[in-house]
Amino acid sequence: MDINLWSLRTGDRCEILGYDNALDEKYRVRLMEFGFHPGESVSCLQSLAFGAPKVYRVSNTVFSLDDEVASHVLVRVLPSHE
Amino acid sequence: MSWSGCSRPMSKVLLIGSPNSGKSLLFNRLTGLHHKVANFPGITVDVSTGHLHDLPGTELIDFPGTYSLQAISADERVAVEHFERSLDDAEVSHVLCVVDATRLEKSLYFTLQVIRECARHGKPVTVLANMMDVLDSHKLTLDAGALAEALQAPVLPVSGRSGKGLNAVVGALRGDQALPATWAGQSLDVPDEQLRLTAHQLAQRFGTRGDVLIRNQTRLDGIFLHSWAGGFAFFFIMYLLFQSIFTWAAPLMDAVEWLIGTVANWLVPMIGNQTVKDFTADALFGGIGAFLVFVPQIFILTFVIGLLEDSGYMARAALICHRPLRLFGLTGKSFIPMLSGVACAIPAIYAARAIDSPRKRLLTYMAIPLMPCSARLPVYTLLIAAFIPATTGLGGLVGWQGLAMFTIYFFGMFCGLLVTALVSRTSKDHYSDLPFVLELPPYRVPSLVPLLRNCWNRAKHFVTKAGKIIFAVTVGVWVLGYFPNFGSDLGTSWLGYLGHLIEPLFAPLGLDWRYGVAILSSFLAREVFVGTLGTIFGIESADEQMSPLVQHIQDSDMALGSGIALLVFFAIALQCISTLAILARESGSASLAVKMFAGYFLFAYAAAMAVYQFTSLFT
Repeated sequence: MDINLWSLRTGDRCEILGYDNALDEKYRVRLMEFGFHPGESVSCLQSLAFGAPKVYRVSNTVFSLDDEVASHVLVRVLPSHE
Repeated sequence: MSWSGCSRPMSKVLLIGSPNSGKSLLFNRLTGLHHKVANFPGITVDVSTGHLHDLPGTELIDFPGTYSLQAISADERVAVEHFERSLDDAEVSHVLCVVDATRLEKSLYFTLQVIRECARHGKPVTVLANMMDVLDSHKLTLDAGALAEALQAPVLPVSGRSGKGLNAVVGALRGDQALPATWAGQSLDVPDEQLRLTAHQLAQRFGTRGDVLIRNQTRLDGIFLHSWAGGFAFFFIMYLLFQSIFTWAAPLMDAVEWLIGTVANWLVPMIGNQTVKDFTADALFGGIGAFLVFVPQIFILTFVIGLLEDSGYMARAALICHRPLRLFGLTGKSFIPMLSGVACAIPAIYAARAIDSPRKRLLTYMAIPLMPCSARLPVYTLLIAAFIPATTGLGGLVGWQGLAMFTIYFFGMFCGLLVTALVSRTSKDHYSDLPFVLELPPYRVPSLVPLLRNCWNRAKHFVTKAGKIIFAVTVGVWVLGYFPNFGSDLGTSWLGYLGHLIEPLFAPLGLDWRYGVAILSSFLAREVFVGTLGTIFGIESADEQMSPLVQHIQDSDMALGSGIALLVFFAIALQCISTLAILARESGSASLAVKMFAGYFLFAYAAAMAVYQFTSLFT
């Protein structure tokens, strides 16, 4: 199922498909510099209460993104065994 | 080319790396300098320089951490532009690029950009794979030789924490080892897109796999970022922070007070000339002594904030605070500068550079002066001791003085948030906005020695910078109060005349001329209020340590409402010339500093008058 990164819940894994056009170019570039490449696997480590930024892991680095960024990253949820 | 005075010509080495790669700790190791090192991305907001102690005549220049040479924030732009200018400097002989060996995927794109720029400028670059001690502790390795071959630049495994591998760095700078030909035969115009792809492939090949490095971080984040446990931990840690200021600092403050009193009692009787004797007792030991008492608190507060930064918790606190701060037009990244503002507004304003959104940075600037900084602490402590009984309630659970301190602290924070909420909702400014993206660094055990050195430097800075102003003001106030009648009658002194002149301004707050003079002098620096008041009362009684000063205030028939009004006034007014100067410089707008000064004075005056008039209805 294709959704956005912000929709993930704690423990979910996904593959990045790309970015929607609403995301500013410089943020798209910066996210790719952080390792959020299309095809990369990302895990949601923490989905906090009250709409707080969520915590994502890419390789061995952990980032916190709020909905203004994460909702523009298009992903495909991976089954837990993949 | 300049010469350092020794046999070697002066050369410069540039140190650059991504945020939180341990670059500042390496800088300290290599130079013996001790500038601020913190485990929070973007904490190095200034370019630092120092001399390599193992390589005389060589200066090391430490740039702020940046993720890319394609800057998207103000602090990155400062670093990138200065770095690119420095590459044109003929004295720059070498570039050291620091990467975090435990998280290569984060650093390699930037490293490739640096290597490309250095090749364009004909500067040799060495990559320092830092944090090898972490890899060692997990029995992991990095194939530095193969990585060097892939990057076409030497790669040296090092540990800023243990110092391992630093001899090889000095050797490389000295030219002991031959450097491989870099970028020979390659195009220097490799596009960024290609570099990103190469970096990604190299990270896949050389980066550590599995969960071993991140397991502890994930486990601890499960607690500190848990919806309920995380909130509880946050409030508990903030509670400890305030405990450290008021409980742990008390014995040290008592010791300083005792020391000042002992020296005064020993020295003053030996002075023959009455005017010099009065000056030493009243202006020196009274005014300045009352200020020095608060240095231990500044030291301890800086230590605790440093612990939070170095441990990695500060970034989590920023995350936790983001959503609530967003309601007030701020970002979670505003939390660090605002919390730093509890110690001192000046480093807090510098720290706000890490906020990439210009609009949110401006709002943070507006909130910082309302944070209850340590300079307000002497004033709060004095007034609370004078007006709030040192008793407890609710079966000994609540101390009224502690509760009053807690309330006035949060009143300042509340005012700060109120201002940003109003401004963010009403202003149509031209500042752009940026969303929230924050790297969460691994949890680490803080290094004690750099932390203590930072505390020492902060306390020293506070004393030396504020001390000059306080000394000048104290002497000025003493001269005005002592002459022309040599201290026989304060009411007919020059100070008394000035005080009576401005008395109508402060009368609506229930304050007499003496408090008016102290408030006026405190516009140079808030803590001057205590010193001035000490001098004013000291001239009357030649004794001005904290307890007698409290007694003098209690004996001055000041109403409780006036005491609370003074607290409110000091919680809001922007009485610090240094803060205004830094604000003007950092924001690039002198008018912003002037507007904030005028606006907060009017706000403070109106709020204090409202409090006094309201409380007068009941007394």
